[in-house]
Amino acid sequence: MQASNLASRRRHATHIAATIFLAPALLFLIIFIGYPILDSFRISTLEWNGISAHRTFIGLDNWGALLRDRNFWAAFRNNLTIMVFSLLFQVPFALALATFLDAGGKKFNLFKVVWFFPLLMSSVAVGFLFRYALDANFGLFANISRLLGGSGAIDLLGDPNRALFAVIGVICWQYIPFYMVYYLAGYSGLSEDTYEAAIIDGATRGQYFWRVALPQLFPTIRSGAILSIVGSLKFFDLIFVMTGGGPGTATELMGTYMYRNAFMTFRMGYGSAVACGMFILITMIALIAMKLLSGKEAGA
Amino acid sequence: MITRVNRILTVLFSVAVVLAVFAGCGGSSTPAAPAPDSAPAAQDGAPAEAPAAPSGETINLELWHIQMDGDFPNIIQRSVDRYMEANPQYNVEVVPTANDAYKQKLAVAMGANQMPDIYISWSGGPMIEYIKAGHMQPITSQINSSGLKDKLLDAGVAQATYSGDIWGVPVENVAAAVVYYNKAIYEELGLSVPATISELEANADAIIAAGKTPFSLANSTQWTGSMYYMYFATRHGGLQPFQDAATGEGTFESDTFVYAGDKIQEWVGKNYFNVGFNGIDEDSGQSRQLLYADQAVMHVMGSWFLSNVLGENPEFYEKIGIFPFPAVDGSSADPTAVVGTVGDNFYHVSGSCADVDGAFGVIAALLDDQAIAERTANGRIVPIKGAVVEDPLLKVIMGVVENASGTQLWYDQYLPPEVADMHKTTSQEIFGGTMTPQDANTRMQETMAAYLARS
Repeated sequence: MQASNLASRRRHATHIAATIFLAPALLFLIIFIGYPILDSFRISTLEWNGISAHRTFIGLDNWGALLRDRNFWAAFRNNLTIMVFSLLFQVPFALALATFLDAGGKKFNLFKVVWFFPLLMSSVAVGFLFRYALDANFGLFANISRLLGGSGAIDLLGDPNRALFAVIGVICWQYIPFYMVYYLAGYSGLSEDTYEAAIIDGATRGQYFWRVALPQLFPTIRSGAILSIVGSLKFFDLIFVMTGGGPGTATELMGTYMYRNAFMTFRMGYGSAVACGMFILITMIALIAMKLLSGKEAGA
Repeated sequence: MITRVNRILTVLFSVAVVLAVFAGCGGSSTPAAPAPDSAPAAQDGAPAEAPAAPSGETINLELWHIQMDGDFPNIIQRSVDRYMEANPQYNVEVVPTANDAYKQKLAVAMGANQMPDIYISWSGGPMIEYIKAGHMQPITSQINSSGLKDKLLDAGVAQATYSGDIWGVPVENVAAAVVYYNKAIYEELGLSVPATISELEANADAIIAAGKTPFSLANSTQWTGSMYYMYFATRHGGLQPFQDAATGEGTFESDTFVYAGDKIQEWVGKNYFNVGFNGIDEDSGQSRQLLYADQAVMHVMGSWFLSNVLGENPEFYEKIGIFPFPAVDGSSADPTAVVGTVGDNFYHVSGSCADVDGAFGVIAALLDDQAIAERTANGRIVPIKGAVVEDPLLKVIMGVVENASGTQLWYDQYLPPEVADMHKTTSQEIFGGTMTPQDANTRMQETMAAYLARS
């Protein structure tokens, strides 16, 4: 009796302390994340240009228009393309770099620093840099083509069939270092003992990687993949700086389309509907991805 | 037990202290609100002479502009300093913003009702939107009584006039799009300045035969390619078709706009433009590199092109020749009309400004004699009557503007934002060949009609 009373009192005190410590964080979450999301849903039911005091409630009209909006779905498809190619290139490439650095240890510290550079640059700077580097007449590839005897004019960002892939290349260049560091951290969580035990048992380095390290790294890879999926779906800054969604709508993403509606053409209500549509789509895809990937882990 | 209560109290107390600190931060930032003394002045129509506040009381004004290059931010700051020296009751804070960020900043400020007292627009459709949303106050009486109206170019005042009132002051520049060409290459190839499109096309064919690109174009920016579209339309049908289409009396599907779109695709098909034009950026100077490298020969651009070249490549400046965009063969449209703006940046008094006279005084100070002299010295054509122009090339452009029977304001500034955006996107797609001119014009018309139906 006495003991259980003490335990419940202690539990009670823990609850109070937890509430007090969590309250500030929760407060900020509600004010800066929760409220804006809910408010976006509210604004999405308005006909409003974002600047006037005059707002009209139009119910679900914006949502109906969104479902029928070919531009939005084309933008969603571009997001999916970026997502697929990000997963295909970023995850394996970053894992390979991390494995290389892990195997090399301190000797490869220089590589670690150099490879990390792209992530240190702001996306806007990267966008500007590659706008010049991919210039059709004076850029990197134009000059390479000239060296090889070509015409010296390679149009990457202006050709609607190539622009998206050019941008995907830049995205990978910028984000592979992030996942590299992420997986490197995953490696540092693996115990030295397992490695030594595997080697003593006669495993080759390749066998160690495929049979021992990779399965243990799987939780890290999984969260990396989900970060990459979500990041690709809400991508904005680099595209906005490099192409602004153009040429035409060839590199338009859900994010840039939202910006275009809300802040360039002053259709705040519709822009909010796009934002909420993004929110729903991204949440759904992230949930599905988590489900699929965790299923795999249970099987492994 | 008591110690535990104490501990909890301590925690609560620290939370309270933290909250108090935050609350303190919030409180200390509020005094930015306008001085209460000046508020009644605006409500009773602001008598012209009476100072809006008793002496000794400081009135804070905030001015937003987008002059970020060269000496221009300093010219504005010095004008404002002179004004504050002469009117010590005013404290004017000047906030420069980069061109593209400005539009977003303004939209956010309007949504949040955090407008400065003085801000710029480019006139046209957005200005009308801001007026309708109550974010601008008319300055008709001030501009008339101060005599500023007689000083300004009439075309500039006309651009800032809406429903009988004057809403802004044209300050920065007269900007007109013309064709720049490389005189050295023209001479080398034995070409002469064209008066008609067909002569221009003959020149372009000769340039291609010589292994060079006729026109340099950086169209990821979209308004750059729009200049060709606007000029083709203006030369084909004059100013009327666009005005009619923008008011709903006409349509963007008329012959004039079909001609403009078709001509662009014809020129793209004949390789008159550099490779990759839709992917390179005017703001970072990528089109000018082609000119500097002698790879491209001609360039259609606003008059600011000259100051860009002066800053980047003074030697190239010597090679530049200028001609107005040629006439469409057989068209009755007046070939002297220019595409451009008389004023470029218009300074407005915001709806929330409590001291319209003071704000207007600041704007007028931006056009005092010294500021005009400084702008002129920096290669600008100030939108006032009898503006002095020293530079021979600017003189040519000023001549084109003075000779013009009318001005076509840039479509993307004239049209309401969503139609302007549609124009920029569709004209880029016309250039890229991903949309037929017919489809583009139909979409323009649909967007325009939808806008007109709502307003």
